[in-house]
Amino acid sequence: MKPTHTFKAEQVVAGYENKTVINGVDLTIPSNQISVIIGSNGCGKSTLLKALARLIKPTSGSITLDGKPIARYPSKQLARIVGLLPQSPIVPEGISVADLVGRGRFPHQSLLGGWSKKDYQAVAEAMDMMDITEFANHNIDELSGGQRQRVWIAMAMAQQTDILFLDEPTTFLDITYQIEILDLLTDLNRKHGTTIVMVLHDINLSARYADHIFALQEGRLIAEGTPTKVITSERVKDVFGLDCAVIPDPVSGSPMIVPKGRYHASEDLVSVT
Amino acid sequence: MSNVTVSNGRRPSPHIPKHFYTVLIVSLILLGASILASLAFGSRSVPFHDLIDGLFRPEVDTYEANIIRKRISRTVFSLFCGAALGVSGSLMQAVTRNPIADPSILGVNTGASLFVVCGMAFFGMTTASQYIWLAMLGAGLTAVFVFGIGSLGRGGATPIKLVLAGAATSAALSSLVTAILIPRSHVMDQFRFWQVGSVGAGTWNSVTTFVPFLLVGLLIGFLTSPALNALALGDEAAKGLGVKTGTLRLIAALAGVILCGAATALAGPIGFIGLLATHLVRLLVGADLRFVIPLSAVAGAVILTVSDIAGRLIGSPGELEVGVVTAFVGAPILIILAMRAKVRSL
Repeated sequence: MKPTHTFKAEQVVAGYENKTVINGVDLTIPSNQISVIIGSNGCGKSTLLKALARLIKPTSGSITLDGKPIARYPSKQLARIVGLLPQSPIVPEGISVADLVGRGRFPHQSLLGGWSKKDYQAVAEAMDMMDITEFANHNIDELSGGQRQRVWIAMAMAQQTDILFLDEPTTFLDITYQIEILDLLTDLNRKHGTTIVMVLHDINLSARYADHIFALQEGRLIAEGTPTKVITSERVKDVFGLDCAVIPDPVSGSPMIVPKGRYHASEDLVSVT
Repeated sequence: MSNVTVSNGRRPSPHIPKHFYTVLIVSLILLGASILASLAFGSRSVPFHDLIDGLFRPEVDTYEANIIRKRISRTVFSLFCGAALGVSGSLMQAVTRNPIADPSILGVNTGASLFVVCGMAFFGMTTASQYIWLAMLGAGLTAVFVFGIGSLGRGGATPIKLVLAGAATSAALSSLVTAILIPRSHVMDQFRFWQVGSVGAGTWNSVTTFVPFLLVGLLIGFLTSPALNALALGDEAAKGLGVKTGTLRLIAALAGVILCGAATALAGPIGFIGLLATHLVRLLVGADLRFVIPLSAVAGAVILTVSDIAGRLIGSPGELEVGVVTAFVGAPILIILAMRAKVRSL
């Protein structure tokens, strides 16, 4: 199992060129669990994730890993503990599946070291777990969207970090593949104890797959905790501005939102809140 | 970390591309063949026994044997130049993540030219070892300038915008070159031969001037290739893998400029070699820069040497400068690449 880490953000303010998006966020990422950041468009979920994953520098506040600011870690050393899968990484033309997954080994390799046995093993394991070993020598262009996303997750997995950030890993995928990807990430968490922090759009999937939810609104953290604690109809109204009923998910028992629109509401049926 | 066994026992090989060894062997054979051909063929045909005399019997002092001996330095020089330009192209493409980046297309050659002309016209420079630093400075400044202009506006540095910025800058700098040259006929003569791009002037002297730059550039190219592989996945993914993207870009671009600047200073602006070599290699072995960069050196060497031979044969009894030959072959390829890049940019 992966070791336990303390990953903390304190009073983090972050944004882009004069525009502050994240406004004083304090949080501690639950180690060895799956956390999901939710919030409406433009609330700063991706920006928060980018700040945590050191893609952007916070304008103030501190982000620490085991008590030491992440900016003070040598970049390769940090990349052996904290990994990141961006929302839309670039697929180099003509790259094979194995080549792409292998690039996740970069932080483990020295300038002249080349490929070690551990590198091969990590790549083989990652491809096996994502069930893409049979495509190893295929060109990425030949794969479907769902398979491609599995390749990217395998790349992040080959990095063998204890903590993994993912920015909307299910966007642009059909619902079948969304479930598949989230199941695979849960596998990664359950089997290896990898701490997973991701941004997701779908509240119901977030509630089902998260151990811990961070709810953001206008750059501030307004609620956090277990899905049952965070996902209530009042809060969904606050965060997303959506009227909804919250019922137990018939499959998992986690909270499930049922949106209320202006039409199709049947007074007899909607009695739950 | 738990132990997961590979289900079908087949070991994935992210280390060596499918056809790598075949490509390596074939390209080395081609390299050997082009060296021999470069010694044997020329605007003046030399019989085989003279070739042997020139190569292995230093005591023979015939006219033909001396021609061969001159061709040796010329061949070595063209191999080195080609290797430098090939790797320079690979590095510039990797740094800009742009499939059409090449010293000539980005206008980097013209920037080097302008500085060389200034050296000739205002500082009385006559030898390559004098203006090699100027060429490099000109190459570097132009690269920064063109990439800066090309990155303006929406979408960042797209292939099309870079080509336009490069072409516009090239045109502007060329007119400056002309403006400096016109009132100075003595510089004009000196410049004219250099300008077309020729390895015919390659002497042992230019080879030794070139070697340190070539070694430094190639070394940096090889050492940065794993990090450039990470950069190919986008800046965010690269940072996530622990790459300092800014530093990496600076170092790799510097190596590209050193290689192209040195080659341009010594041989004049020779275009398209980086573009041709890199794309040919990528087509054959895929996207892994740890293999693309060294093979681009070999491919660049072969392409330039073969182009030089072609120039000698086509132009016989005179010579067609190699820069003209590479432009003829390279321009159509550039058009094809730019059209494809519109559909899918790197």
